[in-house]
Amino acid sequence: MNPSSSLPKSIISVGEYLSLLNDSLRNTLSPGFFIRGEISDFRISQQKWISFDLKDEKQEALLKCFMTIWQLRTPLEDGMRVQVIGYPKIYERYGTFKLNVEEVELIGEGTLYRAYILLKQKLEEEGLFDLSRKRLIPRFPARVGLITSCDAAAYGDFLRVLNNRYQGVEIFHTQVAVQGNLAVSQTLEAFAYFNHLASNMRPDVLVLTRGGGGLEDLHAFNDERVARAIFQSKVPVICAVGHERDESLCDFVADIRASTPSNAAERLVPDRREIFFELKSMQDRLQERFLDLISKKNIIISHFVKISNFRLSQQKERLEFCTKLFLKRVPLWISSLQTRVKTMQRLLQQTDPKRLLRLGYSLVRVNGRILKEASSVDMGSSIQVELAKGSLNAEVTNIHKK
Amino acid sequence: MSTAKKNPVLFAKAFEELEAITAWFEQEEIDLDEGLKKFERGLELASFCQKKLTEVENKVHEITLKFQQPSSFL
Repeated sequence: MNPSSSLPKSIISVGEYLSLLNDSLRNTLSPGFFIRGEISDFRISQQKWISFDLKDEKQEALLKCFMTIWQLRTPLEDGMRVQVIGYPKIYERYGTFKLNVEEVELIGEGTLYRAYILLKQKLEEEGLFDLSRKRLIPRFPARVGLITSCDAAAYGDFLRVLNNRYQGVEIFHTQVAVQGNLAVSQTLEAFAYFNHLASNMRPDVLVLTRGGGGLEDLHAFNDERVARAIFQSKVPVICAVGHERDESLCDFVADIRASTPSNAAERLVPDRREIFFELKSMQDRLQERFLDLISKKNIIISHFVKISNFRLSQQKERLEFCTKLFLKRVPLWISSLQTRVKTMQRLLQQTDPKRLLRLGYSLVRVNGRILKEASSVDMGSSIQVELAKGSLNAEVTNIHKK
Repeated sequence: MSTAKKNPVLFAKAFEELEAITAWFEQEEIDLDEGLKKFERGLELASFCQKKLTEVENKVHEITLKFQQPSSFL
């Protein structure tokens, strides 16, 4: 007899049975395994639900997988090698078995590279790499947020070059893991921390850096969330990941892409010697221009003095000339006046009536008025006759009117 | 001139002002009184900047972030 048949049986519904089944599957099988396989039949429906088959590479075996788009942190496509963590589940409604995937990890450089390329394309199409959004950093940054691990050589290189070049920067260092499974979350926290500071406390620039490594080491810098954190950062970001040839998605999103941690310091601050030189040239130029200004004013002043002297001497000459002319003219004028006076005197003398009396003419007056017409007197009137010497009174005895 | 402008605390501010003064002196007509003021200010700024560059060091502050334990989803 089958041993199970000896146990008492209870009656349950299909739904109840499936939920018991799901509970026991979940308790016994998860989350103890990474299940490794190759992706096929990858689909996204309604932009939310992801389904794919995980195939065994060596034997014929296939596991149906399900997850939501929000759980997926990396691009996936058919043919990629991955390992997944999840719990098995039978969907009550359709009776189908699926692995509910909670985490997908890419396996191998080839797959990582493929995922990198896919994500790069996606971010580029979205405009995260656009040159037009690259911001300038201040020429003399005073506050700098440094996001890196202090164990990394990058930290030392960056500070050494910074100290060699320039002084006066306050560096706010957040210690984050630059690789391993904490790298992404800690980097995101660091960006959140700096961006949530009050604007007067916020650094002028953020520097995100680490040394070189393979795709697997650099995964945090190729993570979509970190790339977006850089894109959304209110503070401009200098990114220096890897060495020279290495590229990461963060490099493309950052406002300034530096080739190495040392180069990040070079891009961040100017060389002190160049600034000294610039200061010196400005000082020299100021002095030169100022002396130039003074000598220009000097020229204007001396020119003014010269012109005034000239005008003054001109006026003086004119005055002298006038005086001379005056002195010469005055005697001539006086003598001509005298001549004219004499002439007029003579003329006047000629018209003197007394002179006519002397020639035998006489003046006849009636009541003091000079008599010119015979009709203006009456018979018997008394008239006065003035002669050259003496005068006499007479009476009119006869009138001859003309 | 405000007191803040008189005593620049920030190197960048001082440097910018010096650049502006140097540019000002490049114009054709310069007023002598203003020129004298700006000239003195320029020299003051230049020596301030030079001094600042030699005196100051870089300071590193360690910021300790309280990281949340990442969930298995991360």
